[in-house]
This record gives sequence, structure tokens and C-alpha cells, in this order.
Amino acid sequence: MKNEIRARRDAEGISQADLAAAVGVTRQTINAIERERYDPSIELAFKLADHFDCRIEDLFDPELNGVGEGG
Amino acid sequence: MTQTRTSDRSPLAKQRKYRRLMFSILLGGVAIALLLREVLGYPLVSEAVYWVAVVGFFAVLYGSSVTLFDERDKALEERASRWTLTLLAPILAITASVGRLLPRVSDYALPEAVWPVLYGFIGVYVLFAVVYGVLRVRS
Repeated sequence: MKNEIRARRDAEGISQADLAAAVGVTRQTINAIERERYDPSIELAFKLADHFDCRIEDLFDPELNGVGEGG
Repeated sequence: MTQTRTSDRSPLAKQRKYRRLMFSILLGGVAIALLLREVLGYPLVSEAVYWVAVVGFFAVLYGSSVTLFDERDKALEERASRWTLTLLAPILAITASVGRLLPRVSDYALPEAVWPVLYGFIGVYVLFAVVYGVLRVRS
């Protein structure tokens, strides 16, 4: 799923390891999310949104990913 | 925006350390147990070492202060389990069919040791069906 994790992390100037430690997952998981190879659970999405002090949909844009495009 | 900087990397370092420790205990224990049983001839001591390794593995897994496996690890485990079952199914079906047909159409037959393995596979699928059913009822 397309997301803005890397952009926001770069803006904060923190590493993947720092973000991983902050939200309680491995660095590899953050890397996989940034590379759009793993979609986080709702719980982890909330933790990431809480860390970046934004809404989940600011990190994971539903329209950007084609989700919620009604027929 | 929250400018949280988590410079303390000890949780990740601990995670790596405990994961290595966990698998080292298990693999090391099994290797020593094999050595004791097969080479040195101490079957009882070997069994004791084996169980120490097994208990040690779970002790580290559940007793460590950090999360050793996160949600992605669990998701990968689920995918691996699904793929394993999916790949085993045709192997089981084809091998069983070949095993039944071979003696009827030729002078060859599958080794007798193959059948217990096939029945073991069938047992795995029966267990899977039971677990799936229980989870479905409870969800």
C-alpha cells in the first residue's frame, strides 16, 4: 500500500531503527512498509499515526491506493 | 508534529540478541544431543539435553522483556503455513495415487516407508480441518 512513512520519517530526521523502536516493531518491518511490501495492521497504523501526530489517512491515503473509490 | 527522537536502540539490540540466543540454545542443544546419542552413546543424557534445549527455547521466547517477533513475522508465518499446505496437497494426492497404481500396472511399488509418511500428511490435514472448524465457530 502506498504511504508517506518514509517522507515523514525523513522530515523528522530519524532512522528506520528509531521509528521501529518507537512503535515496537523490527526495523525490517518499517523497511517493508516503506517499500510497500507489507501493509501494517490497524494497530500498527494507529501507532505510526500517533507517532507522526497525524491521521491514518494522512499516512495511508485510501484514494491514492484505490480504496474507497465507489462504483 | 511530534518530534520524537528515539535514539535508544537497546530494544532492537536486545531483540537481535534474544533471537540469536533462542535459536542458538535450540540448535546447539539438538547438536549436542545428537552427539551424545549417536557418537558418545549416552541416550538418556542426550534426551535430557534435548529437553533442556526445547524448554530453553520457549523460556527465551516467552520470558524475554522485548517482543521477539512482530506482526510482520506472524504474517509471514501465516503465509508460509498456507504455502506449505498448498504445496503438500498435490504431492500427497499424486504420491498416493501413484502408490496405489504402480503395483497394478508394473512390477514396481513404492517403498513401504512412504505410506506412514503419507498417513502423517493426511493427519496434518485432518488436524488443520479441526483447528479451522474450531476457529470458524469461535469467530
